[in-house]
Amino acid sequence: MARRNPIRDRVAIVGLGSTEFSRDAGGRSPAALACEASIAAIRDSGIAREEIDGVVGALEPGAPRPSQLAAMLGLSSVTHHSSPMPVAMFGLIDAMTAIFAGQCDTVLLYYAFTRAPWNSRSAAQDPFRRYLAMNTGTAKPPMPESMDPSAAYTTWASRYLHEYGASREDLGLVALNMRANAARNPKAAMRKPLTMEGYLQARMIRDPLCMLDMDIPVDGADAFVLTTVEKAKAITKHPVVIHAATAGMVGPNEEDQLPSLARHGQHVVAEALRERSELWLEDVDVFFPYDGFSIITLGWIENLGYCKPGGAGRFMREHWDEKRGAVMIDGRVPMNPHGGSLSEGASRGTGHLREAVTQLRGEAGERQVADAKTALIGCGGFFFNSQGAILRRL
Amino acid sequence: MGASVDDAELVDRFPWVQVTHDNKHLFRGWLDRKLLIDRCDDCGRFHHPPKPICPECWSSRITPTEVSGRGTIHLAMALHQGAPAPGVDYAKGPHPVVAVDLEEQPGVRFSSTVVGCDPSEVEIGLPVELDWVERYGSPFPVFRLREGAKRGGKG
Repeated sequence: MARRNPIRDRVAIVGLGSTEFSRDAGGRSPAALACEASIAAIRDSGIAREEIDGVVGALEPGAPRPSQLAAMLGLSSVTHHSSPMPVAMFGLIDAMTAIFAGQCDTVLLYYAFTRAPWNSRSAAQDPFRRYLAMNTGTAKPPMPESMDPSAAYTTWASRYLHEYGASREDLGLVALNMRANAARNPKAAMRKPLTMEGYLQARMIRDPLCMLDMDIPVDGADAFVLTTVEKAKAITKHPVVIHAATAGMVGPNEEDQLPSLARHGQHVVAEALRERSELWLEDVDVFFPYDGFSIITLGWIENLGYCKPGGAGRFMREHWDEKRGAVMIDGRVPMNPHGGSLSEGASRGTGHLREAVTQLRGEAGERQVADAKTALIGCGGFFFNSQGAILRRL
Repeated sequence: MGASVDDAELVDRFPWVQVTHDNKHLFRGWLDRKLLIDRCDDCGRFHHPPKPICPECWSSRITPTEVSGRGTIHLAMALHQGAPAPGVDYAKGPHPVVAVDLEEQPGVRFSSTVVGCDPSEVEIGLPVELDWVERYGSPFPVFRLREGAKRGGKG
C-alpha cells in the first residue's frame, strides 16, 4: 500500500562543499573545516549568503553549533536552526521538512568530523583535542562489557555469522569494494590497494571484526545547500531532488535487546521508503549502503531486498566486477563509488550523500555512473539511527 | 546490604554508570549479589534495561525481581582491545563479552563477560550461569559456562 508522501520531489539539493577527508588536518579546527565546506557549498549553489535562512548542523563532537556557524559566516536573518543527532539523514530530513513546511526557504546543512582521543592515537596526543574527552561526562571510562553501538555491531556480526553460516570473507568483500572504489576518489583517506589476504591478516579489534571492518576516523567536513524545487529550477534545469527520505526504528532498540536480525531499523526504513517512492531497486543507478561497520552493509544489501537474508556475501560474489575489484550490480550499479566510510573516511553517511548528489549531477569524473538518474542511500545501522533516502535528478 | 546504602553512597559505588530512580534497584541488587530484572506486576513480563513503565502494557507497577541468572549466549564477541578495568588484561588474551538470553524470558538479555574458561570456548548458543567478581570494590555480575557446556565436554 502506498503511503502519502507530499514532500516527494519538492526539496532540492543545490549546493555541495567538502574538505578532503584526512587522518590529520594539521592545525585546523572543526570550525575551520565547517566554514570551508559551508562557503564552498553556498558558492556552489549560486545563492546569495543573505538568502540562507536555515542552518542545520549535526551534533558531532567538536563541531560548531549552528549559532556559532551563523556567527562565523555572518548570516543576517535565520528563521530555522537545529542540531539533529549524528548520521547524515537526520540532518537532511530536518532541513527538507523545514523548507517544505515554510519555516525557511534555503538551508545550509553541515557536518564536521574530528578525530577524538578515544578513536585515534595521534588525536590522543593533541592537547587541543583534550576537551573532547572531558565532554563525555563520565568520571571513569566505560566498562569493557559496555554494549555501546560500536561494540554491539560486532556482537550482531558474530550472530550473523552464526545464523547464516557466513564467513569473514563475506565481511571482507565489503572492505575490498570500498578500498577499490576509493582509489578513484582524491578526497578519500585510504587509497592503498587491499586484497582479501590483507584483510584477513589485519589486526583483530573485536573478534569477529578487525580494523578493516571499522570506518576510519578522519578530520573533515561536508556541507549542502537545500532549497525549494521552484527556486532550484530557477538555478538549474535538472535539479537533484529528495524523492523520499525516512528514519526507521523498532522497540526494543537497545543494542543487546534488539529482537533479531530479521526485524530492526533497516527493515522499517526499507518498508517506508518503498511505500513512499515511485522508484525502487530496478530504477536505482547508484547504491549507497552505509559502511560504518562492514556488517551494516551486508544488512542493507539484504534488507533493502537485493537478496535474501544471509545472502549478501553470495550476492556480492555474483555481482563482482573482477576488473574493477568491486561490486557492479547487474554490471551496471556500483556500491559506494566514493569508497564509503571504510575507505573515504568516517563521515556517518555524509560522504554517501555528497557522492549521490555528485553522481546525479554527472560530476563524478572517472567515478561517474553513465546517465545516473536515481540514487538509493541506506544510512545508519540497526538500532536507533537507521535511515534511508532516494534522490533523483529531475 | 544494598537496602542500607543511601542514594549518595550508591551513586558513589558505581561511578561508571548513570544511576537513576529507574535503575537504582538493579545496582542495589548487585551489592547483595542478586541480579534483579524489572518485572511488570500487571502483565508479568520482564524488561531490561530498567524502565519507568512496562513497555508491553504501560503499567507503572514494576518490581525488580531476582532472576536465576541462567540462560543462553545470544550474542558474543572477544575484545582484543578495549576499555580498561581491574582484572582485564588484553595482553594476556581477548576479553569475552556476551549478551545472555535469560531463561525466565528469552529475548530479555543481560550483558557481561564470561569467566572461568578460555575465551575461545565462548560461543553463541552455550548455556551459562551467573557468578560474581569484584570491580572497583563492588560486586559485578558475570557469567560462567554451565557444566557440560564446554567444547569437547558436550554430551
